[in-house]
Amino acid sequence: MRFLLTLVLAVLAPAHEIGTTRVLVNFDSARTYEVEIATDATNLAEKLEQIAGGELAEGLDAARLEPLIAAREQEFRRRVKIQFDGVAVQPAIGLKLTPPVDANSAILATIRLTGAIPAGASNFTWSYGWTFVQYALSVRTGPGETPATVWLEGGRTSEPISVLSTMPMDRWSIAWRYLVLGFTHIIPHGLDHTLFVLGIYLLSSRLRSVLWQVSAFTAAHSITLGLSMYGLINVPASIVEPVIALSIAYVAVENIFLSELKSWRVGLVFVFGLLHGMGFAGVLQELGLPRSEFVTALLTFNLGVEAGQLTVIGLAFLLVGWRWSQRSWYRARIAVPASLLIAVTAFYWTYERLFL
Amino acid sequence: MAEPTRPPSPTSQCRKLERSGNRSGFAQARAGRSGPLLKGKTVRLLFFAATACLAHDMWIEPASFSPAPGQVVGLKLRVGQDLLGDPIPRDPSLINQFVVEDAQGRKQVPGRNGSDPAGYIRASAAGMHVVGYRSNASPVELPAAQFNQYLKEEGLEGVIAERARKNLTGAAARELFSRCAKSLVLSGTPSPAQGDRTLGFTLELVAERNPYTLRAGEELPVRLTYENKPLEGALVVAMNRANPDEKVSARSGKDGRVKLRLPAAAKMWLVKAVHMVPAPAGSGAEWQSFWASLTFGPAQTAVKAD
Repeated sequence: MRFLLTLVLAVLAPAHEIGTTRVLVNFDSARTYEVEIATDATNLAEKLEQIAGGELAEGLDAARLEPLIAAREQEFRRRVKIQFDGVAVQPAIGLKLTPPVDANSAILATIRLTGAIPAGASNFTWSYGWTFVQYALSVRTGPGETPATVWLEGGRTSEPISVLSTMPMDRWSIAWRYLVLGFTHIIPHGLDHTLFVLGIYLLSSRLRSVLWQVSAFTAAHSITLGLSMYGLINVPASIVEPVIALSIAYVAVENIFLSELKSWRVGLVFVFGLLHGMGFAGVLQELGLPRSEFVTALLTFNLGVEAGQLTVIGLAFLLVGWRWSQRSWYRARIAVPASLLIAVTAFYWTYERLFL
Repeated sequence: MAEPTRPPSPTSQCRKLERSGNRSGFAQARAGRSGPLLKGKTVRLLFFAATACLAHDMWIEPASFSPAPGQVVGLKLRVGQDLLGDPIPRDPSLINQFVVEDAQGRKQVPGRNGSDPAGYIRASAAGMHVVGYRSNASPVELPAAQFNQYLKEEGLEGVIAERARKNLTGAAARELFSRCAKSLVLSGTPSPAQGDRTLGFTLELVAERNPYTLRAGEELPVRLTYENKPLEGALVVAMNRANPDEKVSARSGKDGRVKLRLPAAAKMWLVKAVHMVPAPAGSGAEWQSFWASLTFGPAQTAVKAD
C-alpha cells in the first residue's frame, strides 16, 4: 500500500489529495467481470458503522473487523454501482482482510465484485461512493493486458469502458458487428467524412469523376487504416483531426473553381484518403478489435465505411443529382452553394480542432 | 482518447444510490484474491461524468481529544462529507505547515510520509495542544453546474454574484483550494484559562472559549479571520459526529464572530468555514478558496475553576 501510494504521489504532482483506495477491473474472454477494490479496512468499517448510526470500537484487528464489514454488505452495496450499457447489474461479492504489513500500514480490505457480462453488452461504467477523494481506477480489458489507469473522483461515474474486446463471437457475428460499426461511423456519426464524400460528389455529376475519386479515396484510407491498426504508423489525433477538417475545406473550395475532374485532383483525394484512414483507425482503436478475428474485424469495418460512403453518394444522387444534375443551373444553384457551405463548416472545424 | 483534465477536488458524491438486490454475500465468497493493483504505468486521466456534487471538508481527527499527559496521539487527516471521511496519508508535497502549539511554544508535527495517521504529537504536559495543518494549494476544475451548486452550499453568495455580474454563471471554473485545519487536544482537566491559539493561517477559526468547559445550552464564541483580519458574512457551520445531519450554522458578524449554541453531544465536533477570493494573476485559476476547520471533543463534566 505504501509503495502504491508513493507511486501515486510521484505521478500526481502538483499536490492533490489522494486517498488510499484502489480499484482494478478485469474483463476476461469468458465474458465475466471482476472488480477488485483495495481499501483501508478500518476506515471502511468506520464509515459503514457511522452510516448505520453506530461507532466503531478502537484498535480492532483484521479478524474482528472482517465480520463487522461483512455484516454491512447491504449498506456497502448502496454506494457501489456497476452498469453495462446503462443498466445496473448485481455482482456477487467477496471480502478478504489482510493484516498490516508493518506498524505503519493499515489493515487492507480487498473486496471482489464478480459476475457475467450481460449478453450483447458493449460498455461498462463504474461508480464507487465509499471514498470522497480521488482514487486510481485500473482497467484490464483482457487477460495478460496491461491495465490502463485513470483517476476518478469518489462517487463519480466513470466514462463508459468498452467491453467489445471480450466478446466471444463467431466470425460471422464479428463481421456483422464491425460492418455495422464501420457504417455508423459514417452515418450518422461521421459528419466530417460525410461532407468530404459529398465534396467529392459535388465536383462533377459525371459517373467517371465520382468513380475515380471514390476509388482513390477508398484505396488510400484502406492502406492507412490497416497500417495504423497493425501499429506500423502512428500519427497523433491532434494532427490528423485538424488536417482532415482542412482536407474537406480544400475539396469544397476547389469545387467552386473547378468543374471537371483533373488527374491531380484524383492524386489529392488519394492523399486526403490516407489521412482519413488514420482518423478511422483512431475510432477503431477506441472500439477495440477482437484478437482472434483481427483481420475479419478490420476488413468488415472498412467495408462498413465503404457502404456508408456509397450510401451518402447514393442519397445525394437520389435527392438532387438524378433530377437536376443535367440542368444548366445545377452547378450555380446547387453544387457551388453546397460546396461553399461545406467549406465554411470545415474551416470552422479546422479552427475548432486546432484551438478549442 | 482525450488528454486528461485534472480531476481532484473537494467535490463529492451525494446522490441517493439505489438499493441492491443480490444476496450472494460477503460471507459466501470470502476467498478474495488481493492481486497487485496499479501494475500499468500509463496514467491517463479521463473527463468524468458530471453528477450532482457537494464540496468536501477536511479536518484533523486525533486518536484522542483527551490524552493522558505523556501519551502519544496519532493525528489523522480526513477529507469527506458529513464527517464521513477518507484518510489522507502524509504527503510532503501537500504540507505547508503541520504544527502543534502549546504553553511551551510551537513545534513541527512529525510523521512518516505515506502514512495514516499523518502525524503524531506527545501530550507532554497537561493543557491545550492546538494542532494546525495548512496545505499547499491544489488545482481543480469544475463544470459550471457543480461549481455553482458548491458555491451555494458553502454560502459563497459573493462569488455567485460576481460570476453573474461577469456573465460567467454558465462557465466552468478553475480553482485553487487549500486547507487550514485545526484541532484542539486537551490533556488533563479543562479550565477556562486554557484556550485555542491563533496560528496565523490564511483563513482561521479560533474558539474564543475553551470548548471543553462548555455547559449544555451555552454558546461557543468563534472568530473567523482571513489574513489575520476579521472576516464578515461567512457561513460558519458546526456538526457533531453523533448526528452530522443536524448542523448548527451562523454568519460571521463585522468582527468575524459567530456564537454557536452547540447541543450536548458525546462525540467530536467539526466547525468549518470556506472563503473564496479571485486567484492571483498568472496562477492559471480564476478562484482561490480556503477551507478552515476546527475539531474538538465533547465538553467535559469535570472543569477546573480558574
